[in-house]
Amino acid sequence: MADNGNVRKVYEILEKQLNQPLKTALEVCARCGICAEACHYYVSEPKVEHVPAYRAEQVRKIYRKKYNFFGKYIPSLVNAEELDEQKFNELVEMAFSECTLCRRCTFNCPLGVDTPLVMRVVRAMATASGKAPEILVMLADSAIAKGENPEIFKEMFIQQVSELEKELKELTGNPNAKIPVEKEGARVLYVGLAGAHTIIPPAIIFNEVGEDWTLSIYEAANYGVFLGDVERAKKIAKRIIDEAKRLKVQEVIVAECGHACNALVWEAPNWFAEKFPFRVRSIVELVAEYIQSGKLKVNPEANSEPVTYHDSCNLARAGGILKEPRLILQAVVKDFREMTPNGLENYCCGGGGGLVALPEYYEKRMRAGKPKAEQIRKTKAKIVAAACENCKLQLNDLNNYYNLGVEVKGLVDLVANAILYNRQKISANENQQANVST
Amino acid sequence: MTEQMKVDLVLDLKGLLCPLPIVKLSQAIKDLPVGAIIEGIATDPGVMADVPAWAKASGQELISIEQRDKEYRFLIKKVK
Repeated sequence: MADNGNVRKVYEILEKQLNQPLKTALEVCARCGICAEACHYYVSEPKVEHVPAYRAEQVRKIYRKKYNFFGKYIPSLVNAEELDEQKFNELVEMAFSECTLCRRCTFNCPLGVDTPLVMRVVRAMATASGKAPEILVMLADSAIAKGENPEIFKEMFIQQVSELEKELKELTGNPNAKIPVEKEGARVLYVGLAGAHTIIPPAIIFNEVGEDWTLSIYEAANYGVFLGDVERAKKIAKRIIDEAKRLKVQEVIVAECGHACNALVWEAPNWFAEKFPFRVRSIVELVAEYIQSGKLKVNPEANSEPVTYHDSCNLARAGGILKEPRLILQAVVKDFREMTPNGLENYCCGGGGGLVALPEYYEKRMRAGKPKAEQIRKTKAKIVAAACENCKLQLNDLNNYYNLGVEVKGLVDLVANAILYNRQKISANENQQANVST
Repeated sequence: MTEQMKVDLVLDLKGLLCPLPIVKLSQAIKDLPVGAIIEGIATDPGVMADVPAWAKASGQELISIEQRDKEYRFLIKKVK
């Protein structure tokens, strides 16, 4: 790579993002290889390119060339390398298709080396130099366009919500069930994803507990995060933060979406250097609270088939949301079976880091999802629950690819099913009593 | 819609959830010449918000978008 604009941009990004955690990740590695077995890519296909330490080392080489004294003058002494076009293309391919940013390697590394942080920087470099996957850029830019021009979709969105509200009333048998939009002063702003499946089940739950809520006109997904592009990610998050401030809500509740939760709950306060005047949580945490406080009464008989739970890497490893999904499942499922390993040690499904949106990597992500497929098969569960949209899309693909014979559902789907089951039972009892009295 | 305008490609997006309708649309439009028209048929109401935003961000022309029963149909003209 001649010293053209791209090289300059790559090093500019590296310089800009070179904070202490990144420096540590680029300086520290014991070369013990423990991270190999921690990576679902390596477990599925054991080759050196799939060892997280190997991936990070490819970036360390170019880092040393610029930031290490010997790297600058006697590069062979410290394994430093000049960046060229081919190497950069390989780095980009690796960062977008051979690392899902799941951080299982970091948790298993004796030194806590954050290889996904290094991969994020490569993603940022790729985005800055126009080499990031076009689809991720386009999805991020579409979300930004919504924030800049809400008039292009708002009327249609509100019309769609009124259709969904009719469906909600039919499903619940409650003529007063509502999906409020832009309700100022509501306690909760719920941020769904594009699609009815992320609106109806939470709406059933909110109406059941009598929550004072309103639906965001935006979707929680943040493709800026997958691009490693903080500027885009901030613009996408800002739409929701501004909406929450405008409506003066007390809580923003994020749909079942791992990276969106990560972005809004943990990253956004740092991006904006601000303590928001509202709390931000995952819907998983809120629903667990409803159940724990007795506000939501559910019947595990509603979901009688064996269910296993896939921990989203963003919720579990990044967010520590481990107990809440299990509390929900114990309440709404008759036969809950853990997969092994689970929780912090759970394997990534292989679809994280934006991979499910990149059709060109379908075969790669199916291979990377093999450990997950085997975990699921061993449980003999009929339903796989997950609280992340990316995971659900990937699990559905794995189900078809590996003939697992399972159904993939969200936690909120199971909770909503348990609510509807209770309602049907109550209604059947009332009919029976009415028949007896006549 | 199709009766009034010559459609070059009909994209069946039924059953696909976000972000796949937009992913498929982006992929499909790449292979078409400028001036070509795509008709998309989806079942996820998310497209009613996502397709106009995608058209705005990508600089393509959204000719129309409407709901017909449980389906959402849109026409996109490739302008660049």
